Amino acid sequence: MNLLEIKNLKMDFGKDAGALRAIDDVSLAIGEGETVCLVGESGCGKTVTALSIGKLVPTPPAHYVDGEILLNGRDVLKMSSRQLREIRGGVVSYVFQEPGAALNPVFRIGNQIKESLKLHRPDLGAPGTASARSGMARHRAGAVPGAPSRRKALDAEVIRLLKLVGIPAPESRLRNYPFEMSGGMQQRVMIAMALASEPKLLVADEPTTALDVTIQAQILDLLSDLKQRLGMAILLITHNLGIVGDMADRVAVMYAGQIVELSPARELLRRPLHPYTRALMASVPKLRGDADRLSAIPGNVPRIGNFPPGCRFAPRCPMAKPECSSKNPDLVEVETGRFVRCPFWKTE
Amino acid sequence: MWSYVIKRLLHMVPLLLGVSLLTFLLMALSPGNFFTALQQNPQVSPETVARLKAQFHLDQPWYVQYVFWFKNVLSGNFGYSMAYHIPATTLIVQRLWNTFLLSFAAMVVAWAVAVPLGVWAAVKKDSWVDHACSFIAFVGLSIPDVLLSLLALWFAAATGWFPVGGAQSPLYDFMPPAQQFWDRVHHLLLPALVLAASSLAGIMRQMRSNLLDTLRAEYVTAARARGLGEGWVVYKHALRNAINPLLTIFGYSLANLLSGAFIVENIMAWPGLGRLTMEAFFAKDSYLVVDSVVMATALLVAGNFIADLLLAWSDPRIRLK
Repeated sequence: MNLLEIKNLKMDFGKDAGALRAIDDVSLAIGEGETVCLVGESGCGKTVTALSIGKLVPTPPAHYVDGEILLNGRDVLKMSSRQLREIRGGVVSYVFQEPGAALNPVFRIGNQIKESLKLHRPDLGAPGTASARSGMARHRAGAVPGAPSRRKALDAEVIRLLKLVGIPAPESRLRNYPFEMSGGMQQRVMIAMALASEPKLLVADEPTTALDVTIQAQILDLLSDLKQRLGMAILLITHNLGIVGDMADRVAVMYAGQIVELSPARELLRRPLHPYTRALMASVPKLRGDADRLSAIPGNVPRIGNFPPGCRFAPRCPMAKPECSSKNPDLVEVETGRFVRCPFWKTE
Repeated sequence: MWSYVIKRLLHMVPLLLGVSLLTFLLMALSPGNFFTALQQNPQVSPETVARLKAQFHLDQPWYVQYVFWFKNVLSGNFGYSMAYHIPATTLIVQRLWNTFLLSFAAMVVAWAVAVPLGVWAAVKKDSWVDHACSFIAFVGLSIPDVLLSLLALWFAAATGWFPVGGAQSPLYDFMPPAQQFWDRVHHLLLPALVLAASSLAGIMRQMRSNLLDTLRAEYVTAARARGLGEGWVVYKHALRNAINPLLTIFGYSLANLLSGAFIVENIMAWPGLGRLTMEAFFAKDSYLVVDSVVMATALLVAGNFIADLLLAWSDPRIRLK
């Protein structure tokens, strides 16, 4: 059984006549310890797909039409709010794009991390569970809230987490406010906070977009290092294909609310099949090249609710044929593990 | 922190000097003085009037009066009221207490009602609760204090449930303490409600829109994503951030209450500082006017100062090292 299995997910914003389909028939599975990248331009539905895993898109305006999201075999979309609160953090944790906005500005970072600890690891520092610090195992009973030993244990755990994400002198950072830290440090705190609840799946939504390039590399290194050490799965959302090669086991490429190509990362980078993926790869500027212009995909991303009939990429596709604009092709497995939503994928 | 407090207090000095100077100038520019009416009286000899004027330095130009006043202020003497024949400070302190009581009661009512209503309206956005609150706010903002005061007086007179004006009954001094307390509350209720009504609407709308803003913030989504319960997310993470702008408004609302109190006091015959200033101004009781205005200014500045301190206490980003 896969850790996460999204099956034929369809989600609208709005209802009835005014409904706009944001996610259209998306299926995606992530195994334990696997890293999957979700790639696509802004507005293609990456973020709402990722937020849907924890059912974090407010409903309304969002409205799940069809499909299921199985997390550990249980459908997230059918969970009660109590069950949802348990899986949020407990099974799936999030790291967001802008750490400065995702950390609450008026609370000390230590206290924000402790919120997750108190919620998801109530056994921490409780008598008789000395192993609680390191183990993934949970003993839910026997918590003594507010006991001094518990406070010490919480502090120690926060310090351990901050150390884990590479924050120097974590003891002195505990009482810092978010605005007292740099963007890179803030993102490390976000990661520490995500790890605090010991999730099985870490969803990182463009975790490096808001950071400088050197810090980006550090954060990505940290993520792959943590993945190795903690054995969790990662869903990494990005619009940067450069990241894919470094991090991903598999890649899903999204366009206009649909997955257009799903493939092992290495094969996708070596030989992209879908015309959109090819165009994306071609538009990555190369260090050594004689082109004096950036190659870009002609046209614009279709706006939600205004998708073209037939294949959604057809109007911008260099190899579009007349029949492309009449029927939207299905996502088909063309080679082992490689899915493409284009019947003409063989065309060079 | 303390140096900041001291600096802010020192900033008050030139401000108060300027306000007092301006008040003297404006008083001098308007025709006549306290003894003008007395001069018309044929039974009073011109010598007597001249003596009285000299006693209060009214025969001198306004800047000389100011210098006399200022010298006395430095030795703690704020001058005499010419109408009441007692030190101006004694009068002001008595009246100030009434104004303070009125403003404080109005503020407690306004905030105690507005903040929960605003939160409620934001959490239940677009529900009937939200619409009802919007409507109340709309009405509250549209009706001027003057009209509302008159309506309240009419209401008190028509129903007889509330005293029409004043701060206490004529027999107040002969009542037992419990009855005295009730008498004051009874007199306070209507003016306080009128005064609260105008600021209530603004605070409520502000609270609602602040909370709606913070509920959309990414840290709120992040808090939900950690599995925190909805109540905790709204009342701890969102509300705590939504409160900050309100603390600034708190300072302004203090200012608003004082100016609002000015109108309400005059119409509803509440013996406060605003009414005293008004009476003193019409009687041209110049030292009393200056002292009242200086006092009101000091209150305003103090209100803003308190708001700044509260803001620094609540928001670590602007806390001073």
